[in-house]
Amino acid sequence: MSVLPYLIAGWLFVIGLYGVVSSRNYMHLIGCLTVIQSSTYVLLLAIGYHEGRPAPIFSDHPSGPAVDPVVQALVLTDVVVGAAVSALLLTLVLQLKKRRGTLDPDELSPERD
Amino acid sequence: MSRTARLVLFFAALLVAVPLGILGLIGLPSFGHHVSTYGDVVDAMGTDLRHVTNMVALVTFDVRGFDTLGEEFILFSAVTGVTMLLRGDRGEGTSADPVRIPHRRREGRSEAVTGTARWLGPMTLLFGIYVTLHGQLTPGGGFQGGSIIAAATLLIYLGEGYPAWRKIVRSVLLDLSEAAGVGIYLVAGLVPLLAGATYLENILPLGEVGSLLSGGLIPILNAGVALAVAGGFCSIAIEFLEETREPNEDET
Repeated sequence: MSVLPYLIAGWLFVIGLYGVVSSRNYMHLIGCLTVIQSSTYVLLLAIGYHEGRPAPIFSDHPSGPAVDPVVQALVLTDVVVGAAVSALLLTLVLQLKKRRGTLDPDELSPERD
Repeated sequence: MSRTARLVLFFAALLVAVPLGILGLIGLPSFGHHVSTYGDVVDAMGTDLRHVTNMVALVTFDVRGFDTLGEEFILFSAVTGVTMLLRGDRGEGTSADPVRIPHRRREGRSEAVTGTARWLGPMTLLFGIYVTLHGQLTPGGGFQGGSIIAAATLLIYLGEGYPAWRKIVRSVLLDLSEAAGVGIYLVAGLVPLLAGATYLENILPLGEVGSLLSGGLIPILNAGVALAVAGGFCSIAIEFLEETREPNEDET
């Protein structure tokens, strides 16, 4: 199954996007956004994987061909920054709830003001 | 736009996007046979060039060190944004006695939770420092270590309760730690300029392969990132927990 990891990445992206589109609550929407983000992790790691090669960390085995370290470094920073950005978005949700009293995207549309 | 209209639009868009996506997937190298020359070159030359064994840390803090500076600023501005947005309503003050919302009860903790957290907290802190210090050798580094250190301080909160946590983990220290972390990264990049090298160039002595001080600039940058991440994540936790209290009379 050589396409399975790519299909999983695609599925995570689409199901996350469906969640964003059909969301009834901004909290739920941020959860869906992190699902979309995790599809990029799967995709990046899948692209960098090389069959039969060890991890690119040579502390317990001699250095030589290994899986791609560049995409792994990208995913690493992505995870931490993603967590911080989720916190920022949750802050916006908190303020929204305080000011408007609701988190339903439909009730917050501009024409209902 | 109503929810049904949005869903219809979504599925209509999928009809176009899914075939295009599959077309794109066909063009990718098949799984398990990556074709990135960049990664292969890093794997082949990294240990000889920089005397480190963790190639991921080499990419993050040396080869693409400047990109990581950008990531640091994203983290820094996200934490600043959280703080500013939450404090906008609540005022600048922070208090060690958070639960002042009348209808919210203050629950006690069982002794098992306190006991477990007292054991796990220091252990987790130690593990976080270990992961940070060995960043250039084994899996780990500043980002991972910093997150683990932040988790360790949250275990103190779990075991000792909010007032004790705020006494142990001072928010001044967190601000200092975060600012110092980003500052270390910035300044460590500037120092090579004085020696006539380029920004963030690794001109420090590289040390022995496998030793704690190998890698020249990499352990310093790792420490900076760990300080910034630990301080930043703890600050976010404090700002969210401060939301459980109402503003004082003298604050606006």
